[in-house]
Amino acid sequence: MVTLNSRDSRPIYVQIVDGIREQIALGILAPGEKLPSVRELAGVLAINPNTIQRAYRELEAGGWVTTEAGRGCFVRQAPENAGRKDALVRSLQETAGELRRLGLTEEDLIRLITKGGTNHA
Amino acid sequence: MLELKNITKTFGDFKALDNLSMTVPKGAVYGLVGPNGAGKSTAIRHMLGIYRPDSGSVTLEGMEVYENPVVKARMGSIPDEVFFYPSATLEEMRRFYRGIYPKFDDALFERLYEVFQLPRKGQIRRFSKGMQKQAAFHLTLCTRPDILILDEPVDGLDPVMRRQVMSLILSDVAQRETTVLISSHNLRELEDVCDHVGIMDRGKMLLERSLADMQGSTVKLQLVGETPENLNILHESVSGRLRTLVVRGTAQEVTERVAATKPAYFDVLPLSLEEIFIYELGGVDYEVKNIIL
Repeated sequence: MVTLNSRDSRPIYVQIVDGIREQIALGILAPGEKLPSVRELAGVLAINPNTIQRAYRELEAGGWVTTEAGRGCFVRQAPENAGRKDALVRSLQETAGELRRLGLTEEDLIRLITKGGTNHA
Repeated sequence: MLELKNITKTFGDFKALDNLSMTVPKGAVYGLVGPNGAGKSTAIRHMLGIYRPDSGSVTLEGMEVYENPVVKARMGSIPDEVFFYPSATLEEMRRFYRGIYPKFDDALFERLYEVFQLPRKGQIRRFSKGMQKQAAFHLTLCTRPDILILDEPVDGLDPVMRRQVMSLILSDVAQRETTVLISSHNLRELEDVCDHVGIMDRGKMLLERSLADMQGSTVKLQLVGETPENLNILHESVSGRLRTLVVRGTAQEVTERVAATKPAYFDVLPLSLEEIFIYELGGVDYEVKNIIL
């Protein structure tokens, strides 16, 4: 089940989207598996059902799940490693941003990346 | 849809509600917030048909609420101070509620004994404050209301019970599209459950909008460097080199504009409901004063 963090600056629906995407990428949710119903999740997480609906719509738009009318939301075959890739890109962007704030130039960063992390600058 | 139109109510020479209008859409979970003494409870007593407005109207789906038992039978409420008859037990209150509310659900009442675990016998007035609140929920949820009006509903409940109660209400919303109005000072909690918010101040509605609109149209911007020119700034504070601004606009718009000025550091964050509350009321001179004792 997705856990929400009230100290997280991301809106709740984004936390749900990211949480489910991560679970799909990690194989915790298998292709074909049914996501909890909106009603169930609203009760469990004690949040507004519209927020969950919005998260599920995003997941569907992103191709992570399909909705079958009257039956619920089902996990689609995950695009190979897409979730992991997304997560790594995001963490790379965060790290790069922090390094730049610490004074590294774009050239420094490019050098670090092209070395593949085998040597320290 | 529950609609309050131009409600004015005075007690003696005190104007508690001043031309108040608000709309609670059908199926919405509406958070009513405002500083102490803003008139929230007075507004709620009008919605429930307890007070008669000096002028204006309160209607549920077009039908007047005041002195209208048909409409009131569809409303459930948890008032700020819950009421039980002296010496009444939960079972006696159940019979009383069953006589008044045509949709009273006895099967649900039995099931809720497992949730609230209150004694069937024993005077409710001897229960603790929190248990009395639970008893009120036990009874009110079983009336199967179309609209649930809650005044400070989780006040006095322990953290497990708060979550339990919210969970019951929200699964009811998801299942039966119950309309819910909650007044509360716990903005963190409201933020999770509400989709509409109304901020009241001094008997008036200051701002009423869907939460998504409210949070999508204003952002918090932190930056080190010059403040960009082309921003619609609502609030600005400086702490050392870091400026914190509240800016109108979507996260994307603001990010693009600020990035173009290449500041040393910046971050665009969504506003919490608590921050919206503080900044909106700051605009009408209600804010924390810096007083050192």
